[in-house]
Amino acid sequence: MNSPLEQMASEITRRYFLGQSTTGLGAMALASLLPSELTAEKSGHSGSSASATTDSTTTGSAKRKRPRGVTRPPHFAPKAKRIIYLFQSGGPSHIELFDYKPGLKKYAGQEVPKSVYPDDRKTTMTSAQSAFLVAPPQFKFQQHGKSGAWLSELLPHTAKIADELCIVRSMFTEAINHDPAITFFQTGSQIAGRPSIGSWLTYGLGCEAADLPAFVAMSSRGTGRPAGQPLYDRLWGSGFLPSHYQGVKFRNQGAAVLDVRNPVGVDRKTRREMLNGLAEMNRLKFEKTGDPEILTRIKQYELAYQMQMSVPELLDFKSESKKTLAAYGPAVQKQGSYAYNCLMARRLIERGVRFVQLFHQGWDQHQDLKKQLPLQCKDVDQSSAALVMDLKQRGLLDDTLVVWGGEFGRTVYSQAKAKKKGANGRDHHPSCFSIWMAGGGIRPGMTYGKTDDYSTNIVEKKVHVHDLHATMLHLMGLDHKRLTYPFQGRDFRLTDVHGEVVKPLLG
Amino acid sequence: MRQVYLTVFLLLVGSICFATMTDRQETIQKQDVEKRDVSSEAVSKKTAAKKTAVKKITAKISYNRDVRPILATKCFTCHGLDEQSRKADLRLDLRKHALAVITPGKPDESELIDRLTSDDAETVMPPPKIKKAIIKKELAILRQWIKEGAHYDGHWAYQVPIRSPLPKVKQTDWVRNEIDRFVLAKLEAEGLKPSAVASKETLIRRVTLDLTGLPPTPKEVDAFLADSSKNSYERVIDRLMKSPRYGEHMANAWLDAARYADTDGYQKDNARYMHVWRDWVLLAFNKNMPFDQFVIQQIAGDMLPKATLKQQIATGFLRGHRINSEGGAIPAEWFAENLVDRVDTVGTVFMGLTVGCARCHTHKYDPISQTEYYRLFAYFNDVPEAGLGANGGNSPPFVTVPDSWPNLSPAENRKITPKPFKIVKKNGATPRPQPGGPKTVMVMESMKKLRPTYLLNRGVYSAPDKSKVLKPGVPAHFDKTGGAMPKNRLELAKWLVHPKNPLLARVTLNRYWQQFFGVGIVKTSENFGSQGDLPSHPQLLDWLATEFLRVKWDVKKIQKTILMSATYRQASKTSAALRKRDPENRLLARGGRMRLSAYMIRDQALAASGLLVEKLGGPSVKPYMPLKIWNSFGKAKYDQQHGDNLYRRSLYTYWRRTTPPPTMTSFNGADRETCNVRRENTNTPLHALTLLNNITFVEAARFLAERMLREGGKTSSTQIRYGFRLLTGRLPSEQELTVLKRALERFRVKFKNTPAEAQKLLSIGEKKYDKKLDVQELAANTLLASMILNLDETITKE
Repeated sequence: MNSPLEQMASEITRRYFLGQSTTGLGAMALASLLPSELTAEKSGHSGSSASATTDSTTTGSAKRKRPRGVTRPPHFAPKAKRIIYLFQSGGPSHIELFDYKPGLKKYAGQEVPKSVYPDDRKTTMTSAQSAFLVAPPQFKFQQHGKSGAWLSELLPHTAKIADELCIVRSMFTEAINHDPAITFFQTGSQIAGRPSIGSWLTYGLGCEAADLPAFVAMSSRGTGRPAGQPLYDRLWGSGFLPSHYQGVKFRNQGAAVLDVRNPVGVDRKTRREMLNGLAEMNRLKFEKTGDPEILTRIKQYELAYQMQMSVPELLDFKSESKKTLAAYGPAVQKQGSYAYNCLMARRLIERGVRFVQLFHQGWDQHQDLKKQLPLQCKDVDQSSAALVMDLKQRGLLDDTLVVWGGEFGRTVYSQAKAKKKGANGRDHHPSCFSIWMAGGGIRPGMTYGKTDDYSTNIVEKKVHVHDLHATMLHLMGLDHKRLTYPFQGRDFRLTDVHGEVVKPLLG
Repeated sequence: MRQVYLTVFLLLVGSICFATMTDRQETIQKQDVEKRDVSSEAVSKKTAAKKTAVKKITAKISYNRDVRPILATKCFTCHGLDEQSRKADLRLDLRKHALAVITPGKPDESELIDRLTSDDAETVMPPPKIKKAIIKKELAILRQWIKEGAHYDGHWAYQVPIRSPLPKVKQTDWVRNEIDRFVLAKLEAEGLKPSAVASKETLIRRVTLDLTGLPPTPKEVDAFLADSSKNSYERVIDRLMKSPRYGEHMANAWLDAARYADTDGYQKDNARYMHVWRDWVLLAFNKNMPFDQFVIQQIAGDMLPKATLKQQIATGFLRGHRINSEGGAIPAEWFAENLVDRVDTVGTVFMGLTVGCARCHTHKYDPISQTEYYRLFAYFNDVPEAGLGANGGNSPPFVTVPDSWPNLSPAENRKITPKPFKIVKKNGATPRPQPGGPKTVMVMESMKKLRPTYLLNRGVYSAPDKSKVLKPGVPAHFDKTGGAMPKNRLELAKWLVHPKNPLLARVTLNRYWQQFFGVGIVKTSENFGSQGDLPSHPQLLDWLATEFLRVKWDVKKIQKTILMSATYRQASKTSAALRKRDPENRLLARGGRMRLSAYMIRDQALAASGLLVEKLGGPSVKPYMPLKIWNSFGKAKYDQQHGDNLYRRSLYTYWRRTTPPPTMTSFNGADRETCNVRRENTNTPLHALTLLNNITFVEAARFLAERMLREGGKTSSTQIRYGFRLLTGRLPSEQELTVLKRALERFRVKFKNTPAEAQKLLSIGEKKYDKKLDVQELAANTLLASMILNLDETITKE
């Protein structure tokens, strides 16, 4: 087909994407995991070099010949090919949004029994309170859709897609503070240093697009509590996995991708000329030293040049219809808004990005819950629902998993200095909270799990964070027990030594 | 390979064939008789053995090399050290226990083999549900091992290093020092020859980058080229080791290991002030502090008799961990996490052990019980800290450093007793200890009355086993010193540097080797335990370790020995055949060729362009960063500085743990959240985007261009040659010069047609361009300089 040099170049590129390049560990891990797949690699059945093939994606705006990345076959046939994770950072109140407890009214203002809420796992923000008084939900609930799901009046758009949703009311986690809890949700461990879900998926399944990362993270600030909890690079980091598995963070101000634009004064044509000269110089070097890493470098500069095209095209909403834009709501044109990020998520997955994660900040309602929560909900309600429906209309929902939820829930008792009635605010609550999922192999129109009368403890069908991770990987065709990486002498997993696939959630 | 499968196939077919195969194997064994003699020699065959399984089976089985990895992965989880998870009361990690299922010499009478090959899903091992079925090759190894007597060996890294006699070699004229004897012996055994010595230009660039992190100047290259004396190379090394840049460069790797940063790392990730400790490190390297002192002072400098302030400051090493001060955090929980980090960091850095595994359960692979883990914990449980951080400033204990630092007068250089922490409660905020300001530094301090240490069930802070207070102690298996158990941090530090400690010298030397050659003699430099990689040259590693002790932990001396070897001086050029044979260069038949680290790439661009501002130490600086780098996620705001602080070495760049400098992380910089002693080296399109478009590198390209035009002679050719040489240390070939000149011509045409664009390009960066130069010519040369900064050779150590 090509010259020996080009053949070697594509071979090398393939090696890079497999993580074999200099470290080798990634590929070794894979070899022990998926022998059939490696054979396939060698015979060229699965995966192809970035230069060898191009791919035209099916959907309108994204249709352009684009270089393909190298993928790896899953362990078994996947239900979902990609995930959009709408992370609600801060801990949305399950009591006001999903876990309908009309019975709480009668306990209003009464002390929560110690048998229901023992003292030893209250944060130091409220553990010294003189009383722990029940605050019933501050907003109304109603049943929606054929499924009859109970949803808060704060989520009118979400209510309209109730029959697409699988609401899990029995999530629980181990951490009680934001940083460890969100780190736990993202990496399966409270302590920094482990790879995030998205990097595990990239490691397991490879990269569809060569000119875009496999894993993109974006963030937006809530209007309910604009000074919300901060986020950290480790949330989309690769931990001990090779760093090319880490998520690329699209920035919410200024240039979305760092350094993707040429410096002022340098146009694309000049850049091309420079890269031609650079490639020639590097080839001369390769001929002298024989180091294949040089050929990889030449290839990476070409990919960078392609990214300089594909990224601006991705960021440009011109090709979106007025109807689509309207569906996501007025904030959709504003870079860094949740609505903008939702639409961007769809555009990314259309272009082969496998895992897109949004972080919406501001769900930490310690005070002023009544004022803050409606604003938080307004930020996300319309565009979350629009995203699900947009995917559905484009035939993408069937194999795209959408997840909506935060790192923990909130206490049934009011966080208040005085013995005030009503929820002034609520403290962190890890023992139960709610999330929803849609599409990608999840059973629609279902509410799963049950909490006690105080919405404080789970009474049936507990779902741990590890279980959710196991289920997400399962839907993507990966066995969470087999997706391992050797580090410090042991095989690590996203789910550590825990986690069960929650079968009843599967469609 | 074929032979192995054949063996297994025949074994499965029946006993008649079995006899035939046994004879055949014995014949092969006889041929290899020399290879089997020394077990450590057999270990060194690992690399070759990996590729050719036949050799593996035909040579005498080595427990550590061949058998243990199989048992460890497939059996030890349930039949190893950990009592909690042990099944059927069977241990396979100790011979006397394993003999319950192994009959030495008789694989067919051994229950182990029966169980491994059973057709019955109920009895077959490992159980099918754990999905770790034994494969044919492994079975063949186990069979032969049993046949040969099922011998066990202790783990190599836990034995005190032995200085073996230098091996005999044929090509004696290649050998420059002892290192080369070990390397060459192995090459000759593999039928390989070492590479020729690298060119003088390559060599001086390599060694200058390795010792200072910066490229040599053309003047330095000229002087070396002109010096035809025998010890010209040695003089270069001596000169570089005297340079203050040496300590700055050496400190980088140490800061990664010590998870040094300028912020606390949790939640709001507020500032702390540890730069005084960072400067202590680089000064220690510069004055060549013996490594044992370097260790003792960082672990227990505060406990030394008549401790100085400097020794006390050294203990900042143990305070470099992240500190949580989140509102609502439970102090007891974070108190425990601080200890976990200290134990893990000390374990990795000084012992090359993954002790952290024993936090929740007895270590599955290495001889560290859960109790022993918490006895290590107890050494560091003496600090009067609050558990919760101060949230903005240093957390107690800390001391105030005099303004004269580091030039302290004898009166100033005395240990200061830190003020005890005081919980302060400001209106409504979470009660936290008092913070220390920019003039303070966090240190260790030992309380008079120690806090009791308990085993934490499952590693959970709230589940202490209060039935027993644990005393400090080191894991029994590693204590070869024969003395009493070290009682406190100071004694622990002395135990670590004890000549009988099998790990410290090996682990340290291995990291130096990794720094110079790209890969350590033990590839997993963070793990010398039984699940780590075996050394490629075990006798060499032990020779280096014993030599380190012999020269009394003299760091510069031992590093010089490595750099003076013929092994280090080889050219890195390879052939396709050698590359295929040894892709990672573990056999060292050539010099190392590797991409520069994140720090070095930026520092080199600054140095070669003349932008670099050299000033040793001081508070961290805030150079260019992407717009609103911090406050896109939170309230914190990055206040970029100006002037000189834009051009300091990367060592001094402010490191915010939750948002580290993107250029550093993109080029595989450590994240500084936890201890890191080995970084990978990737090759991605994001690197290209950074080097082509990032303000730091565009400004550096402009300055390089100015230098070329001002200092590079009168013609384009001489100017290009000069610029090329500033980065690569050599002159371009005629062919290369043609390519570069052609590119420059294109850039000239471009800016001639669009002069306004030239102006724009030159406006990038805060330092103004030289107005005496022609704008269009400078812009064209800026692009050419950018091209030079982007060359593979530029960002590679050859």
